[in-house]
Order: sequence, then C-alpha cells, then structure tokens
Amino acid sequence: MKALWYAILIACLVPIQSVLLPHVSVWAVKPDIGFIVVCLVGLLGGELEGLLVGLAMGWVMSLFSAEDLIFSMVTKGGVGYVAGLVGRQVVYLTPVVLVMGLLVTSCLAGLLTAFSLTLNEAQDLWWAIRAVVLPQALFDAVVGGTLYWMVWSRLNIERWVSDYRA
Amino acid sequence: MRMVNLRASYNARRLALALAVILVLGFLLLPSQLQGVFQQLGSPVGWVLSWPLRAMASVHDGIADLWTGFVVLQGVEEENKLLRKELEHLKGQNSQLREAAVATERLTALLEFKAQALPSMIAAQVIGRDTGNWYRTIILNKGESDGLQSDMGVITSAGVVGRIVKTTAATSVVLLATDPNNAIAGLIQRTRDEGIVEGTTQGLARLKYIPLLSNARTGDRVVTSGLVGGFPRGLAIGTITKIDKAEEALFQSAELTPEVDVNRVEEVLVIQSPYAPNEGERLDAPSVKPKS
Repeated sequence: MKALWYAILIACLVPIQSVLLPHVSVWAVKPDIGFIVVCLVGLLGGELEGLLVGLAMGWVMSLFSAEDLIFSMVTKGGVGYVAGLVGRQVVYLTPVVLVMGLLVTSCLAGLLTAFSLTLNEAQDLWWAIRAVVLPQALFDAVVGGTLYWMVWSRLNIERWVSDYRA
Repeated sequence: MRMVNLRASYNARRLALALAVILVLGFLLLPSQLQGVFQQLGSPVGWVLSWPLRAMASVHDGIADLWTGFVVLQGVEEENKLLRKELEHLKGQNSQLREAAVATERLTALLEFKAQALPSMIAAQVIGRDTGNWYRTIILNKGESDGLQSDMGVITSAGVVGRIVKTTAATSVVLLATDPNNAIAGLIQRTRDEGIVEGTTQGLARLKYIPLLSNARTGDRVVTSGLVGGFPRGLAIGTITKIDKAEEALFQSAELTPEVDVNRVEEVLVIQSPYAPNEGERLDAPSVKPKS
C-alpha cells in the first residue's frame, strides 16, 4: 500500500516538475521538487524508504531529461539514504534546520553533478556553481522549508505520522 | 519543533545499507549494462507517466490559450496593421521567389541533378520541459511506438529546434539547438563556409570553425549543411549577429540568433532519418563476402 502511495506521488511530481515549475524558474533555474520530496521521505521514513524512493524518483525523472540515468538514480538514492541517516540523529526538526540541511545537501549533490558532467569550454565549473548549483540549492531550500512549514503548521500531520509508524 | 524518525528498525537499516552497497557496486562495475536495462524498463513506465504529463500539459495549454485569447488583447489592432503590411511585403517577395524557383527547376533539369528526396516527418506536440536544470530540452508527446528514435532531427516551419536524445514508448526528449551540449553541422548560406553550430550558456547559438578567409558578416543566415546528423541540407538555424576573430586563432566564430524561439515552441516536426547510402553503395562497389 505504501509503495502504491509513493508511486502515485512520483507520478504526480513528474508533470509538476516538467510542466508547472518551468514557469517559476529564475534565470532558467527551477527547484527540484523530486529532490525535496526524497529528502523529506528519507528524514521521516528512514534510510530504506529514502533510498528506494530516491532511486525510483531519480530513474523516473531521468526518463524526462537528458540527464544520465544512472547518475540521477545514484544521486537521488544517495540523498534519500543520507537523509534517513540524518533523520535518525536529529531529534527535533525545525523548518530552519530543514532549510539549512536542504541547502547543504542540494549544494553537494549539484557539485557532484557538475564534477561528473563533461562540461565544455563554455560551461566551466565556476559557471556551473554560479548558474546552476547555488541558485538551485537556494530554491530547493526555500521551497522545501515553505512546504514543510505549510504542511506541518496547517495540518495535523504529526499525529498522522506517529499513528502511521506505530 | 517536530520529532523525526526514531522508529526505523535495525533490520530496515541493514537492508538499506546492503541495497545501497549492491547498487553502487553494480553501477560502478556494469554501468552500460544496467543503463540499458533501466532504459528498457523505462519505456513502459514512460508510457504510463505520459498520461498525467499530457493531462497537465493540456490543462496548462487551456489556461495559456484563455490568457492569450481574452486577457492579453492590448495592442492587437496595431499588431494587426503591422502584420498586414508584412503580408503585402511577403506576397511580393513570394512571387519573386516563385520565379526564381521555376528558373532553378529549369536549370536543374538541364544539368540533370537528382532532386533531393524530402524526408518523411511526424508532427508532435511539446508537453513539457527538462525535469533538471543542466540541459535545455523539451518533451514531445510521441515516442518509440510512433517510430521516433534517438538522433532524429526536430524542426518547425521556421527552422531547426534540436535533436532527440532519449525516447520512451510514448515520449521523446529533444536536446535544443541552444544547449551547449548540442552540435549541428551548419553552413553560411551566402558564403557557403561550413562550421559547427553549438548552443551557448546564454541560450543563443554559436557557429564555430569558420575559415579565417571567410568574409562572413552580420546578418548572414546559417542553415544546416546536411553532412552529419538527422537534418537535410538547407534548414534555417539562425542569423549571425556578431563575428569573433581572435588574434592567432585558426578559425573564426560567429554568434547566432536562433531562427526558432525555443522557449515558445508548441508543435514540432520530427524528421525520420531518410535512407542514406554508404560510400560503397553510392560508388556501386562490389559487396565484400564474409570470411567462412
């Protein structure tokens, strides 16, 4: 049942990422909603869920992008796994901690991608950091923080999560 | 303040770690095989996911049509006048071109040139953009089941859009001509100098490797040369806006404004690769028998 919900979530995120988010892009950079969701799933569901959802999300998102399939899977799967590990260490998760975590993780994932890509002479590492990595990390952090704050402050998700785990 | 993830079981953690190690090892040791497997598996998954994508795209298009049809009507009268003027001008130009075409046909027949076979094309709709930020791509609503494959050229009536880099059963990903990772063989229409057109980080294009002695200038049109890739000769790519001639460089390069506004493209045509004979077949060379 849980797997079905995650499959539906991923199926809904693909059109959001590909059709709606390009309209909110700034300097041709848009937030990676898949990355944010994988972080949240890892934090709340643990390493295994984070890893599996990350792998599936990376795979599906790469089908609608020119990005390398394996790299996308490994990056998102790794992010989900690390989020699960971090989630076990952090007892209280505030929106500020989440925003900082998303900022750092997105920066690291972006840098890893920049290093892995065979950038041509027009796209050096400095360009990648300035034009893609940092703006995307900021975007991810703001969108992730806002999502977390909205959902957790407006809805009684905490009890739902506790009941779900019990 | 929220409490997080304190109930993850020890077994789940061990399983996650083992799975992560196995996958990383698999991806490191068998990258191309695993890539092939996941790409194959992705084809039906892409077909399933194309439905929500199409639904969202049609809702998005409906809203966009409503907006452009009813809300953004300011300046339409002025635009209409300008368009009528342009139409008159184009009518005059059209009759001149018809004359030129008739003359070319006559001369071609005299010289016994073979007519260039027009490739077959498939119309497709743009239903989305790249899910990441590293590439400039568009997603089409047609895929492998419609006969589309990687490396096929994509155009509009205005000119070149890009080429297909990835397909699923029902969708295709097109790398735009303005992406720095794309390269299309082009030539300057006036001077017939050839070069390679690449995208730039600013979303424009650049014609590279123009010979130093070329007298290319601003305003020259660049078209496909038809030598490599999925494009026939003569499709518009862009217009030169700036020539760069660095000292001691072996070649010149030119900045282009693409003919197609790739940010607004909605419908495209995919060129199905025409049959291209190899060098031996063209020269009627005898086929080599396989060694027994």
